Amino acid sequence: MVEILSNTVALSRMQFALTAIFHMLWPVLTTGMAIYLVIVEGMWLRTRNPDYYHHARFWSKLYILNFGIGVASGLPMEFQFGTNWAPFSEAVGDFFGSILGFEGAMAFMLEAGFLGIMLFGWGRVHPVIHYLATIMVAFGANLSTFWILVANSWLQSPAGGEMVDGKFVVSDYFQAILNPFMVKSVAHMFLATLETSLFVIGGISAWYILNQRHQAFFARSLKIVLAAAIAVAPLQIYVGHLSAEQVYHYQPTKLAAMEAQWETSPAGQPADWSLLAWPDESGAKNRWELTIPNALGYILEFKPTLSEPVLGLKEWKPGDRPRMVGLIYYSFRIMSGIGFFLAGLMLWSGLQWRLGKLSPEKIAQQKWLLRGWVFAAPLGYIAVEAGWIVRCVGRQPWTLYGQIRTADAASPLPAMNVLTSLTAFAVIYSILFVSTLYFGSRIIRKGPNLELPVPELDNQPAIDTTPAKFIPDQRPVEAQSVAE
Amino acid sequence: MDALLHFLPQVWFVILGLFLFLYVMLDGFDLGVGILSLTSSDEERRSLLMTSLGNVWDANETWLVVMGGALFGAFPLAYGTILNALYIPIFMMIFGLIFRAVAFEFREHSNRKLFWNFAFGAGSFLAALGQGFALGSVIEGIAVDEAGHFIGSTWDWLDWRSLLVALTLIQGYVLIGSTYLILKTEGELQKTHFRTARLAAITTLIGAILITIATPVFYETARTRLFTPPLFYIFAAIPLLGLLLVWLLLRSLNREEERTPFIWTILIFLLTFIGLGLIVFPYIIPTQITIYQAAAAPSALVFMIIFVGFLIPIMLFYNIYQYVVFRGKVVGSAYGD
Repeated sequence: MVEILSNTVALSRMQFALTAIFHMLWPVLTTGMAIYLVIVEGMWLRTRNPDYYHHARFWSKLYILNFGIGVASGLPMEFQFGTNWAPFSEAVGDFFGSILGFEGAMAFMLEAGFLGIMLFGWGRVHPVIHYLATIMVAFGANLSTFWILVANSWLQSPAGGEMVDGKFVVSDYFQAILNPFMVKSVAHMFLATLETSLFVIGGISAWYILNQRHQAFFARSLKIVLAAAIAVAPLQIYVGHLSAEQVYHYQPTKLAAMEAQWETSPAGQPADWSLLAWPDESGAKNRWELTIPNALGYILEFKPTLSEPVLGLKEWKPGDRPRMVGLIYYSFRIMSGIGFFLAGLMLWSGLQWRLGKLSPEKIAQQKWLLRGWVFAAPLGYIAVEAGWIVRCVGRQPWTLYGQIRTADAASPLPAMNVLTSLTAFAVIYSILFVSTLYFGSRIIRKGPNLELPVPELDNQPAIDTTPAKFIPDQRPVEAQSVAE
Repeated sequence: MDALLHFLPQVWFVILGLFLFLYVMLDGFDLGVGILSLTSSDEERRSLLMTSLGNVWDANETWLVVMGGALFGAFPLAYGTILNALYIPIFMMIFGLIFRAVAFEFREHSNRKLFWNFAFGAGSFLAALGQGFALGSVIEGIAVDEAGHFIGSTWDWLDWRSLLVALTLIQGYVLIGSTYLILKTEGELQKTHFRTARLAAITTLIGAILITIATPVFYETARTRLFTPPLFYIFAAIPLLGLLLVWLLLRSLNREEERTPFIWTILIFLLTFIGLGLIVFPYIIPTQITIYQAAAAPSALVFMIIFVGFLIPIMLFYNIYQYVVFRGKVVGSAYGD
């Protein structure tokens, strides 16, 4: 333990992991919720039903809380590449730095630039302009996901150039952007933010219904969420499978760690799939494991035998294997388990909907279903965090997979500096996390303000032509004559 | 090809300068208002101060993110070396900005506003201080080896000259924050900020004069550059022009004009910025690493211009549009309900 405290590389890694794990919590919600806000505001403009307007206003309160903290907690992410990973920044700046620049200039600026109008512009701009601002915010947020995932996918499967004298020289930028991991990773993360947000909104809506507050109002949001999640939850399992498949092809060390495979399973033969295990790194084996016979072939390729070998960790020298195999192994199982749970919840909810049991009058009787939704609210976050642990811890010992080792990527800094900043981050981010939960739950307990006046839409004439109600002048006669 | 190798880094130097200037100007008044909030006597005033920023602060701060990303992409060597060398001031700034940003959100919902008010003011101060130290030590120069990697020690950034730059920058932020508040407020609050603007104009001026004197006295390289014609005439003209602008600013403050103080302050910032740019150019780590040595490959610079270059006018357009939508005086709470 004391050794770690004087090891700059380990401390820088811990700092990056800590800031990334905390930071992720906020944009994961805002990115998906932005799409939801586009949907409800669009439905308001279409149907003119004030409920949708009040949904837009209510959920945007949670949106702004999370957005503000997301911005604050995200700043260190960009700067850490320079402060703590200077050799890495210099080696990959040509591509990786450019992509982070695009994220800032194209995506984040778009989101931040229109956010003011989306939040405070209700009375100041035309509803259509306002809607445009909401769309831009959502578009910007998701464009951010795109560029960040382009950058990260490139770290997972570097393409478009080669290392020359310790610097990555890019020969084809578009090939680098379209690196082997890119499309599926972007899709997987896009669905992850959407799914997480849907279940947060759905869970909160279910909580209101269970507590018999604004039942009809929140039955509406629950149904919107359900309609989207019925498609998203199973789709995410499929895209997740595609992501695992690309790991199988491009990152054999990660796949071996995800499955805690120490020995190679040769091609042309069936292989067992381990459901639970206790990986022991020093002994290079699993102390015990629970396996499902012949399942690995079905999981990876939908057939009983493997067409390619699945390499075991022992194929590499200990220094070339990912560490913390147990963490990677269980994170992967937690993520996939949550994915299946959420899809199951959708199946159940979908059935109840078909049976007509989710109508505003009857929905409150579905106590266990609603409790399931409340329970599901935080699961998306856990799955996202677990997934990123698999993705980034599983990439070790490489920062740029197969090209730059993490140990060579770190800035030479006094360990004391990093320890100090790491401690400060741990304290501040914990405060941010607890405060967000506290203030978020305050917003939720307070509930929506259904009294909020709905902005005039243009189907109403600009000048009110309805005859005014006659109010007799009740002032004394003398005062009346003075006024004239 | 040779011309291209010179031209592209220069283009990116100008683009970075633009991003940095927009950041310093926009987040400058943001941070200045934050620092001023520490002196506010009551809750209502602090609330108005924060409301005046509610809808713009995160777009303003985004220029820092854009600038950071562009520096990373266009001059990776400088990005790594400068940030590595300035570990402590950079984290000072980041922690300051974090406190400030979360204070906006949490204050709104909190019953104990005093704590978050303090976090807002102190965070703004800390962020400005970190930026000032960073700016001061970049101008002073960073110890690097021949490959351009940082070889100095952790506390290199701290000396009286960088402290002078930091204090002057804070005063400058207070000045632009005050003139912004003159624009956005009325009555007593506005009167207060006519006073703070006058005070800050004078302290900024003193700081600027000291820096102008200290730079050629203590930095030999700067001295040789400064006293060689034709640059000498430009460098002589900048302080004179600066004095003229400060006089115009003080006059507009005495006449209690509402808009012109903000405009004069922006011009003072711009002038200072051009002066700094001329002293630094063609170095990106003065006087060690030039923009040509630190630049990314030409293909990377072209690639970034294609994606970012055409966006600059669009970004400016919607940022200006936002200011147009929210023009006029601040009233009540921006958050409404």
